[in-house]
Amino acid sequence: MKQRMKKLAAILMVTAMSIGLFAGCGNSQTADTTKPADTATTDAADAANEDTTAADATTDTASADLSGVEISFLNSKGEIQTALEETAAAFEEETGIKVDIMACGTGEVPYTKITSAYNSGTAPTMAMLDTTDVVALAEEYALDLSDEKWTAECTDLLTKVNDKVYSFPFCVEGRGLIYNKAAIENTLGKEFDPDSINSYDALAALLEELRAAGMENPVVISKEDWSLGAHQLGFIYDTYDGTTAGSAKLITALEDGSQDPAEYERLSQFLDTMDLLLEYNINKKDPLGALYEQDPIFLADGDAAFWANGCWAWPNIADAGASATDAYGFIPFVLGNDTSDFANTSIQASPTKQVIIDKVQASEEQIAAAKEFLNWLVYNDNGQKMLVETCALIPACTNNAYNPLDPLGMDIKNRMAEGKTYSSCFIAPSDHWSVLGAAMQKYIAGESDRETFIKEVADYWTSQK
Amino acid sequence: MGTMGRKLAEKLKNLCVFALPGVLIFFTVVIVPFIYGFYLTLTDWDGVKQVKNIVGISNYLEAFQDAQFWSSMELTLRYVFCSVLLVNLVAFILAYALSNGLKGQNFFRTGFFTPNLIGGVVLGFIWQFVFSRVLVNLGESTGWGIFSTSWLSDPTKAFWALVIVTVWQLSGYMMLIYIAGFTSLSADVLEAASIDGATGIQRVTKIILPLMVPSFVICLFLTLSRAFMVYDVNLTLTGGEPYGTTRLVAMHVYEKAFTARNYGVGQAEALFLFLIVAIIGGVQIYLGKKKEVEA
Amino acid sequence: MEKKKIGGTRKAVLDAIGFIAVVLLFLLYMVPFVLVLLNSFKLKRDIIKNPFSMIPEKGFIVKNYIVAFEKMNFLRSFGNSVMVTGLATLLVIILAAMVAYYFVRSRNMFSTVCFALMAASMIIPFQAIMIPLVSIYGASLHMLNHRLTLVFLHTGFAMSMSVFIYQGFIKSGIPIALEEAACIDGCSKVQTFFHIVFPLLKPVTATLVILNVLAFWNDYLLPSLVLGKKQIMTLPLSTYAFYGTYSADYGTIMAGLVLTVAPILILYLFLQKQIINGVVAGAVK
Repeated sequence: MKQRMKKLAAILMVTAMSIGLFAGCGNSQTADTTKPADTATTDAADAANEDTTAADATTDTASADLSGVEISFLNSKGEIQTALEETAAAFEEETGIKVDIMACGTGEVPYTKITSAYNSGTAPTMAMLDTTDVVALAEEYALDLSDEKWTAECTDLLTKVNDKVYSFPFCVEGRGLIYNKAAIENTLGKEFDPDSINSYDALAALLEELRAAGMENPVVISKEDWSLGAHQLGFIYDTYDGTTAGSAKLITALEDGSQDPAEYERLSQFLDTMDLLLEYNINKKDPLGALYEQDPIFLADGDAAFWANGCWAWPNIADAGASATDAYGFIPFVLGNDTSDFANTSIQASPTKQVIIDKVQASEEQIAAAKEFLNWLVYNDNGQKMLVETCALIPACTNNAYNPLDPLGMDIKNRMAEGKTYSSCFIAPSDHWSVLGAAMQKYIAGESDRETFIKEVADYWTSQK
Repeated sequence: MGTMGRKLAEKLKNLCVFALPGVLIFFTVVIVPFIYGFYLTLTDWDGVKQVKNIVGISNYLEAFQDAQFWSSMELTLRYVFCSVLLVNLVAFILAYALSNGLKGQNFFRTGFFTPNLIGGVVLGFIWQFVFSRVLVNLGESTGWGIFSTSWLSDPTKAFWALVIVTVWQLSGYMMLIYIAGFTSLSADVLEAASIDGATGIQRVTKIILPLMVPSFVICLFLTLSRAFMVYDVNLTLTGGEPYGTTRLVAMHVYEKAFTARNYGVGQAEALFLFLIVAIIGGVQIYLGKKKEVEA
Repeated sequence: MEKKKIGGTRKAVLDAIGFIAVVLLFLLYMVPFVLVLLNSFKLKRDIIKNPFSMIPEKGFIVKNYIVAFEKMNFLRSFGNSVMVTGLATLLVIILAAMVAYYFVRSRNMFSTVCFALMAASMIIPFQAIMIPLVSIYGASLHMLNHRLTLVFLHTGFAMSMSVFIYQGFIKSGIPIALEEAACIDGCSKVQTFFHIVFPLLKPVTATLVILNVLAFWNDYLLPSLVLGKKQIMTLPLSTYAFYGTYSADYGTIMAGLVLTVAPILILYLFLQKQIINGVVAGAVK
């Protein structure tokens, strides 16, 4: 009888763990069924052992019980899939916890993936998501991580929902205008100091100089709607005051109509700079005919000197022929002529990918194992190293001393250390990039003018409920 | 009385043996989720929330008022018309040419079918290159104005790029079905016709076309439904660009449900799409079957 | 034979023009495929710079194939694909032929309604049932992460198109007289179907086999919802690692594509013969 009970409990546990089937309030039940089963097995194995040993084993739960636990991790950064798998393997070797890295395939939106996973009862224990998704899912599905020790290592970069932390900032990404130092210096025949480009006028002068020296069109503007809508246009929200809270305030004002976009200074500054860049755009002849795979080749070959993009573009630049020892870096997407403006002296860098831990379908062991994984990434030397060097990410936690291996990551890390970054990461409705990305495309193709574009921005925001 | 009972039993047995297994699988896989999906359109569910509140028909009202949905529907209708016409024309001609004992016809059949073997992102990538690089290069070297800029950056040309790729991809598929139709035409009929002195054109219009009506019904329906629901090619080739002007209805529905996170409205729009295609497809089959009977 | 009977130089000229037209169109159709093959032997930079170049800067390489083979875990994924595709195709072909046969020969309310439903279901956008589908099969029935579930779902989704095509051909191509004769000989309905009707359907069956195999083999969306574990992934799922959010490893993708497509192409070439044989058999009747 006892034997059969044990078997039953074991089967229950396996089912519960592999399918994670108990949703919602069923969660506590899962934990209950799991615990006795565990103890039962230990009892059977150590039948001869004394009571004290058993008690010790129970207090030790953390590491002892977690070995053999299987958890899953939804990866929404396709380019680091292999690297993450290696990292997970190293983690398993050290702790015995198996982390299955789930990929988000081509054309699959992470949000769709997580939606279907929750619906099918196969939600990943941990999910790496964009900030917008984190905010959308946090209170209902994500574990409150406010009391985790690592929160102290990245205080400035935490995303809070109603004053609670639900996500671990997995990596920092920054954006601005990527420059190719060699291309500029070879064209001008003199040294280039990126810090000297701290205003609209300075950039305009440099571009003019480059053109005069033979580089006809020194700027690359990609036509992708996510690039134009979320990354370029995004500067108008992020530079409100350089904080996420500030951008949220601005967005609320845009929604209720109390801030008219036509009178918002950042927007007109942004369009001025955009006009300037478009004038020198290497894709000028057919701005919407640009190819994202061709764009980095212009930069790497020195046909152009600047590309409006972020540090995630490094693999593309490397594929285009650049090497990690070449001098690439960022200048700010300059706005206006105030040289003391933070938008002109620092670049935007914020945690873009964040990890949440599922609290609905995961068992207690899985949750503990997931926390363990995050701690390993933050505090374990090997974990720190793999995050930075294997996965080529910029860590959000300041205690991680490893340096990024590529020049763009290095530039951001240095700027963060020098305080030359601002961490605003605006949170917009999920269709913002696609709707206003289309509006931006019209604008750069010359299909709409300033007035029409500003009206489209205004209409988009006031139509939000 | 006994015979009647036996007949009924026999009928029931046939139903169970022949129709039931297949029909049952079909119902559990397609119809049941579809009905459940219909129920979801009556709720305010966003795809993730744990609670679903019944909200009645408000999702349908919202879908009805979604101007973008209707404009992408209009675009889709134009796209469907052009591609159905072209796909079937090309496929029929190919099938006709390749079932007349042309030298190496098996080789050609395989070749025309290969586009179906490439799918997804790679297909989009290759065609993007063709339209935005190869043709642009060609335009530069020949001075042909039509190729001077990328087709994908102009709304009208991007639309035709979509149609062209669709024809390229689907015509081989439909060709196969037409070929199957041709081979089921008895060789005697064709031979008799040619002995009677029927010319090529007469042969086609008077004898082959009427006999091919079943194939036409099938191919038209398949292309119709495929074209209405095209998503992959749309996503990978144009992505709805330039500035959302080539966003066909399936893509709009997908974005409504998942990007804009308006699951109920997206699902309701999918039902609208379903109804429209059902009506068009139904009419087409009805007309086809009528022709079939007359022939 | 036929050509000679009609005779005449005019006919020969027309044939030649037709032949040339077919060849030209054929070349046009093959361009993308050739591109895939050509670029599967190049480095990414060379692909992007000039996908048509016959002389890539860095030379031709086979590394892409080795990387693709390893990263895809080719043999295991290939086995999974074969199993899923094979079983599902077998099920669809047999069940659909039987259902279609029933619909044609037994005209009653049931067949009419079911046939209409099947025809209509072909136009349900997959996105519209995606979420309900995973809710039912995942959260309620816990059937995800099994290859057999995928076989079952593939069968269900492919049913309507196969029935539709079979139905058309049974109606116009299978004379009922044959079956009546068999009936007199004392064959049961099931025997009649498998011994007389099904063999006559060979050309259509061959066509449907290739269409279904192709659909199952290449499908991405449905397997990605059903198969979450690496050990049971099919070929298209196992190529995901080649795609990044902002960049894709095109050389490896192309090599992976060639590896994925090659088995299908071989099967198709093989079935070509079957189609011809089927035609011959059809002519004999």
